[in-house]
Amino acid sequence: MMIGEGAEARIYSEWVFGKELLVKERHAKKYRIPQLDLSIRRWRTRNEARIMSALYEAGIRVPRIIALGEFTIYMEKLEGRLMKDSKPVRGTALQCGRMLAQMHNIGIVHGDFTPANIIVCNGSVHAIDFGLSGFSKDSEERALDMLLMKRSLTRDMYAAFEMAYSKFSKDQKEVLKRLAEIELRGRYQSRTIA
Amino acid sequence: MAVIGIESSAHTFGVGIVENGKVLSNEKEMYRIGKSGMIPNEVAEFHAGNAGAVISRAISKAGISRKDITGVGYTRGPGLGPCLQVGQLSAKILAKRLGVPIAQVNHGVGHIEAARIFSGLDKPVVLYVSGGNSQILILSEEPFRHYKVLGETFDIGVGNMLDTFARAIRLDPAWGSTVDKYAKNGKYVELPYNVKGMDFSFTGLVTKASKLASAHSKEDLCFSIEETAFAMLCETTERALLLTGSKELCVCGGVAQSARLREMLGIMAEEHGIRFGFCDNQFNADNGAMIALVAERMLKGNCSARIGECDIEQRYRVDAAKVFL
Repeated sequence: MMIGEGAEARIYSEWVFGKELLVKERHAKKYRIPQLDLSIRRWRTRNEARIMSALYEAGIRVPRIIALGEFTIYMEKLEGRLMKDSKPVRGTALQCGRMLAQMHNIGIVHGDFTPANIIVCNGSVHAIDFGLSGFSKDSEERALDMLLMKRSLTRDMYAAFEMAYSKFSKDQKEVLKRLAEIELRGRYQSRTIA
Repeated sequence: MAVIGIESSAHTFGVGIVENGKVLSNEKEMYRIGKSGMIPNEVAEFHAGNAGAVISRAISKAGISRKDITGVGYTRGPGLGPCLQVGQLSAKILAKRLGVPIAQVNHGVGHIEAARIFSGLDKPVVLYVSGGNSQILILSEEPFRHYKVLGETFDIGVGNMLDTFARAIRLDPAWGSTVDKYAKNGKYVELPYNVKGMDFSFTGLVTKASKLASAHSKEDLCFSIEETAFAMLCETTERALLLTGSKELCVCGGVAQSARLREMLGIMAEEHGIRFGFCDNQFNADNGAMIALVAERMLKGNCSARIGECDIEQRYRVDAAKVFL
């Protein structure tokens, strides 16, 4: 059963051996030539799986991968609510800040770190959707992860988020400096990042 | 009311006349680039030499006389400073002599509005692709009515990228449309594909493709660079459509003249049941009519400038311009 569709993938829910799994499938795009289409989908599926297992092994809360196909990832289904649909709680923001710091510390950037990609289950936060993630220690990319949250959270919630990030990150000074620089750039002043 | 629009942001000096949204004439002179690209001062000199003749031609082709003109519009930016100066000065002289109001138009808004109005769309997601600009936008009412940028290039515009590539592999004439011609019979070579959310970057692509010049045929490289760049644009546009929930899409700007790009966007739009539109190629290339079209709406909305206030702005961002529907 399809339960969601993004720009590059469809999400299905499937019962396998009495367990409900989520299947993320990168479907073919007819507008691009087959060679390019196959190589993009193959590379992105592999990249996302690599990131997710690296995070899982580091003890960061992400869905566990059960199986991997050429264009599909089978993962455990998390019960809970998206952060964007739940009441803003300071504790959640603190956990998010800590989680992002831990990701950055092991050299991973999320690429789309917003409340739409965070699930809160039983009070603990889990990150999902690593379609835009990468292995990078670039403070620009780290700062962009922060910027997305800054644009999505209220002032108080972001303050809590940034406090937790600063406490757990190894490079918080550089990242926050870069964040301030990015915000001064023309293109980001008139522009809201969705 | 007939409004005259003057465009001179890059290599085209264009003059168009519009009456109640109907284009009466659309005349232009284009500076021919050699192998050197555009040298701003030389282009400006070319424009200055042609301004008077193109303006007269536009007026006579429109079948009106000077006294029928009730407003003037010119491109304030973005563009090359020396080139913009020529259009600005011509517009000021014209407005002063005729004693009519003058409107300062954003070049990007000109392209977008021409495509939106002539394709009969209401509030589409817009892919604006030209030499210097590559952006994905949608109309927004906050804090004032303008085109909000959803995604854009991190570095150079897609047209500029194709021009650079054309020069690197010595195509003649050295611009994007020549790349488009060579692309017809190529085979695919893998090149860097670089998107991030709704943003994209082209410098890595053009560097890599240029370095491969001795290893592959011109046809193969032209085909691959175009397929890769256009797929990047399609993917980010698709993301913008799904995110905004908009059911309309239009493409505009110089690169929108490419049949392949339009075909790809059409396939993508059809899959999502989205209405897809574009305008006649004369409005995708730089032209004066689109400036007149926007100026007419601005003047109807009482958005005129005093002659002494008129200036140019080389980096006039499209999202900084007020839009009058």
